[in-house]
Amino acid sequence: MIEIDRLTKRYGATLVVDDVSFAVEEGTLAVVVGTSGAGKSTLLRMINRLVEPSAGRVLIDGEDTRAIPEDELRHRIGYVIQGYGLFPHRNVADNIATVPRLLRWDSKKVAQRVEELLDLFQLEPAEFAHKFPHELSGGQQQRVGVARALAARPALLLMDEPFGALDAVIRSKAQDDLLAIQRRLGTTIVLVTHDMNEAFRLGDRIAVMDQARLLQYATPAELLMRPADDFVERLVGSAERPFRLLSLIRVQEALEPGHAEGEPIAASESLHDALSRLLWTGRKALPVADASGALIGQVSVGGILQRGRPLP
Amino acid sequence: MSSTASRTNTFGVVPPRPALSLDHLGFAIAVLIGVALFAAPFATYRATRIASGEARLLIEALPIAMAAALVLVALGVAIGAVLVRDPLSRLGSAVIGLAVLLPSLGLSAGYLTPADNTFARVSPSLGFWLLSLAFSLLAVDALARMRLGPYGRLTALAVGVSALALLLLSGIWDDLSILREYYTRADSFWREARQHLLLASGSMAAACLLGVPLGIVSHRLRTLRIAVMQGLSIVQTVPSIALFGLLMAPLGAIAASVPLAAALGIKGIGAAPAFIALFLYALLPIVANTIAGLSQVPSAVVDAARGMGMSARQRLVDVEMPLALPVILAGIRIVLVQNFGLATVAALIGGGGFGTFVFQGIGQTAIDLVLLGAIPTVALSFAASIVLDALVDLSKGTPA
Ligand SMILES: Nc1ncnc2c1ncn2[C@@H]1O[C@H](COP(=O)(O)OP(=O)(O)OP(=O)(O)O)[C@@H](O)[C@H]1O
Ligand SMILES: [Mg+2]
Repeated sequence: MIEIDRLTKRYGATLVVDDVSFAVEEGTLAVVVGTSGAGKSTLLRMINRLVEPSAGRVLIDGEDTRAIPEDELRHRIGYVIQGYGLFPHRNVADNIATVPRLLRWDSKKVAQRVEELLDLFQLEPAEFAHKFPHELSGGQQQRVGVARALAARPALLLMDEPFGALDAVIRSKAQDDLLAIQRRLGTTIVLVTHDMNEAFRLGDRIAVMDQARLLQYATPAELLMRPADDFVERLVGSAERPFRLLSLIRVQEALEPGHAEGEPIAASESLHDALSRLLWTGRKALPVADASGALIGQVSVGGILQRGRPLP
Repeated sequence: MSSTASRTNTFGVVPPRPALSLDHLGFAIAVLIGVALFAAPFATYRATRIASGEARLLIEALPIAMAAALVLVALGVAIGAVLVRDPLSRLGSAVIGLAVLLPSLGLSAGYLTPADNTFARVSPSLGFWLLSLAFSLLAVDALARMRLGPYGRLTALAVGVSALALLLLSGIWDDLSILREYYTRADSFWREARQHLLLASGSMAAACLLGVPLGIVSHRLRTLRIAVMQGLSIVQTVPSIALFGLLMAPLGAIAASVPLAAALGIKGIGAAPAFIALFLYALLPIVANTIAGLSQVPSAVVDAARGMGMSARQRLVDVEMPLALPVILAGIRIVLVQNFGLATVAALIGGGGFGTFVFQGIGQTAIDLVLLGAIPTVALSFAASIVLDALVDLSKGTPA
């Protein structure tokens, strides 16, 4: 768990991060969103002390980060930035091996770890290990950037607009991959973005920042239903709200007994997906299947519509 | 049918280039060759080393068969330069041209010098220089079109140097005036050569030793950077001979008051002020290129390195310096080429080097002696720039 405690950064007279506190549970993904210049990057960089806080502290599993030597702290925290900052003079394998080598792992263990990560990120080792960054597509560079950050098995991963340079299709795939990898490894992630859709898609909790201050830190559903102020409400987007809400709810939660005609939908999909299928096929209800494919009930237009607004 | 053909052309589909077509550079080379063969003397004959020269046309300078052969080969090269595009063939014809031209100069010297006459001097004249210029241009252009990699260029240099060494060692040029000058002072030639190399590369090494660290520190500290760059720019504007002069007074004073300095050979005139002046000139390009090399390292790369917990030293050694190296080497290339040239001036204050022959030769109006100093200087600069260019490419080279 990481706790950000009254963190403040001042450059001269201007406050860039103003008294921000929140905590991120072990194994969850927190997203920091806000307009440009809100102080998101500065906040993130204070966690691994690339920026020294003017006041406040950061605790990682209860340990004050100031008690840990800077470089040692950074060896323990993965860091991914927009543009990835891959070393242009080193091939993919050497890029990924950076932190393990700084930690003086023996070379066999390093090679093993590199191979493991290339596999995990669907980069065929024989093909990619010896390529140089300029020989990779943007999406491949992005995966190498994340693989490099995860190389020494950090418990915490900081990501600053990691998908900012990708086109919509590749970005969506990269987001799915990140979620899958995070579930698999149990890594705690703090991710900065100014893309609200990305925040809703990835965040277990979302921290909304504006003009150096933290306006609200809550789950996506709470943010939709109980925005702390006008700014958050506008950022969340009033017109998008019902649909965002439906994206957050699984079909499982709106399951009704009975049987409907048509192609079944998986219980793990979102109500947003279910509604879109219903609209497109012109039906009033869809059969629902569990993970094994067995039919377990149905989901109806009426049931979905009830969920598209805050429950009384 | 014909309309479709013309349309593809108007839409920019380039038809395959014919193997034979006119070539601008080739045309210029052919003109050079024509002038050299028919309108310029091939060699100069002088009764003594300082007598005024008499021009000898190609037909007078060589036995008739030899002259005819050279004319035929040169005309062949000229026609090939205009009509043939394939770089390998162009290179081949240039090499054949040089292979006939260079030895024939030596033959001409033997042919023109009366038997047992050790005073007469034969030297190359305009025609020879134009021919060798034309052939070399053709060769260099062909090499450039072949886009040789760094190893290819180094190999080409090695082949050229070996061919030249072979010509010199074979004795075929021994009757030429410039080699006569060399043979009468072979000892001092090699002594000055060593001195020249020591002055030029020693001052460069010293400048690297100080300049690279200074560049690294200046890159970090803005105030130092501004001061250093302004100071060095001022040094750079002082003409070389004035700088040598400026250094004479303080060094003379040091030599007079510090016995140890005098014992080490530091005095107002000689190698010490020359060395220091070359060192000062070398400093600016090296410091400036170190700073430029470090500042073009992408900031995201440095940021990522810091974020992964690389210490300042690790970042410098493993990331920043390797990425700055091509630019720093480009600075070293500038310095080395510049130093080989500037070191010539050192002779004026008794610093030695090839300049000794140049200034002696000017004093005696013996042009051969001037060339004995000038040609090795130019050759050294040329070779140094090829070697360092190759190194720059290698340091950039991420193997594909
Ligand atoms: N080193 C610095 N010195 C002075 N001001 C700074 C410094 N770094 C950041 N700032 C200022 O702090 C403010 C917040 O910057 P920060 O990079 O944290 O914003 P951000 O929320 O990440 O914005 P973006 O979405 O554009 O990346 C900006 O106004 C910026 O100009
Ligand atoms: Mg930012």
